[in-house]
Amino acid sequence: MSAVVKTRGLSKQYRAVAALRDCTITVPVGRISALIGPNGAGKTSLLRLLAGLALPTAGDVSVLGTAPRQDPAFLADIGFLAQEIPLYRRMSAADHILMGAHLNPRWDAASVRQRLDGLKIPLRQPTGTLSGGQRAQVALALTLAKRPRLLLLDEPVAALDPLARRNFLATMADAVAAGGLTVMLSSHLVADIERVCDHLIQLSASRVQLCGDIDELLASHKVLVGPRKDTGPIERAHSVVQVTRTPRQTTLLIRQGGPVIDPAFEASDVSLEELVLGYMSKDGTGDSARPFPEWLTAVGGDQ
Amino acid sequence: MTWVVWRQHRGQLFTGTAILAVFAVLILITGLQMASQYHSMMASCTASHDCDDFNFTLGNPVMTELVTLTTGVPAIMGLFWGAPLVARELETGTSQFMWMQSVTRRRWLTVKLAWILAATAAWGGAIGGLVTWWAGPINALNNGRFIRGQFDVQGIVPIGYALFAVALGIAAGILLRRTLPALAATLAVFAAVRLGIANFVRAHYLPAVTTIYSYTGRGFTPAGSAWIFANGTVGPNGVMYTPNSPGQLGQLEINGMGLNGLPASCNSLASGAHPNFGRVLACAASHGYRGFFTYQPASRFWAFQGIETGIFVLLGAAVLRIAAFALLRRDA
Repeated sequence: MSAVVKTRGLSKQYRAVAALRDCTITVPVGRISALIGPNGAGKTSLLRLLAGLALPTAGDVSVLGTAPRQDPAFLADIGFLAQEIPLYRRMSAADHILMGAHLNPRWDAASVRQRLDGLKIPLRQPTGTLSGGQRAQVALALTLAKRPRLLLLDEPVAALDPLARRNFLATMADAVAAGGLTVMLSSHLVADIERVCDHLIQLSASRVQLCGDIDELLASHKVLVGPRKDTGPIERAHSVVQVTRTPRQTTLLIRQGGPVIDPAFEASDVSLEELVLGYMSKDGTGDSARPFPEWLTAVGGDQ
Repeated sequence: MTWVVWRQHRGQLFTGTAILAVFAVLILITGLQMASQYHSMMASCTASHDCDDFNFTLGNPVMTELVTLTTGVPAIMGLFWGAPLVARELETGTSQFMWMQSVTRRRWLTVKLAWILAATAAWGGAIGGLVTWWAGPINALNNGRFIRGQFDVQGIVPIGYALFAVALGIAAGILLRRTLPALAATLAVFAAVRLGIANFVRAHYLPAVTTIYSYTGRGFTPAGSAWIFANGTVGPNGVMYTPNSPGQLGQLEINGMGLNGLPASCNSLASGAHPNFGRVLACAASHGYRGFFTYQPASRFWAFQGIETGIFVLLGAAVLRIAAFALLRRDA
């Protein structure tokens, strides 16, 4: 009952394009969930469906116990920050704070001022004149001022430099630590996810590949390194996510179905990056030996 | 939400107020001048008993032109107030900020529309009212406030036009999601509807009146600022001759009756060096010819104003309804 987000068979079709297919996920309360996947995997679509900005083509979606809907009480509980960091460019942060006060039942204006003062972001300057990082901070502070119970962030750190990114994530983590808040944030950057997230949803080609607490996901997966030989027995005992073969050795990423008993293989813990990449290459052709996909290093946003 | 609308649009409100104030000052000054000019002219012609023949020219031509230009005010309101209202928010993404506050999209749209349309009606009414007052002396001289051009800037129709133009702009912005195409669409559709209704529909709001009169009496002219569609002559066989009836255009026309249509005996009175129209008419009357006017009586001015305003308000409501449906139904 403590799931904040629960979807079953959720699908979203835009004319001929399937943005999201058969998505079934659960995000428990209090988690910071990372939504990860290559560009066009459906991350933005999923977040917009959860926020009620888009309507599902098929499937069920439950957010905070109800279907997302146009209702002041529901909207008050959701904080959504779009990738474009939408702010009125000619208005200052102070103007936005005043607007928010008129538009929301709970509004913590003091917290926004405090956060922005702490970051030395001018309150009276039009937001159009602020840097990208400052704008993102203003938008996040405004989103948090609603005191939402679910915070949905679409690539919030994509445009930020490393320091701004760290500040941004710290602000978010503080808000979660204060309690009562669940976060879903989409990102490309495994390092950031490792630092702040405790839950992971991986999307590839409009489908969910992984969903669960990061600790459990890491514990249930192993990397096996062994000689080049028949991997049939292993494939029968475990579910193999990815196989990489070189002339001398075989590396397997497996989801454990039990203890690894083949002594020829050495089992080791998997890193979050290996896990994410393994599932990323699982989709498509099955050519698991291809180099790291480009998206891992890409910093730009989904377009 | 009201405060937010005020905060977002107060700049436009100030600009609009400033322009309206300048216009009002011009109208007041020239209107007062024109009124006193009218009164002194009336006084002098009444004294000399020649008001019927007096050739009045009122006001100054620049101001008359400016007043004629107020025909364009509704379109300008549609472009500056209507089209960007939602389109700019969609374009810049600020709708995503607004729609994630604790206000439903329906309420957001409703409050925004209510204030913008109220301001539009107020501005349209103010400009229409000022022009109507200004044109008082001109109207008093029966210079045709019912004819196209004057009908369109006086009375209450400017409110209807302005509401329609702004509604159209908002709807175009919602459907096209971009300001510039919305501007173009607003202008094109507004111009087409306005011209179409003024030229092809307005004349038919009420069936026109045809008055047939005898040439032997005192004659007849529709009273006041009537909208005259045709005037001419009805033959004994009931055929109506107007100046444009084919084959009836002689070198001389009386009440639109080509002389060719008259019996030869009457026609001969019209030829020669000194034609006598009085005798031609009397001759025509004795052969059963009568005069006629087809027109909308001046007394229908306000009925026509009301009908035209109603049509534009309803059209505006219809386009807004379609656009609101599209905005609230589809994904944000």
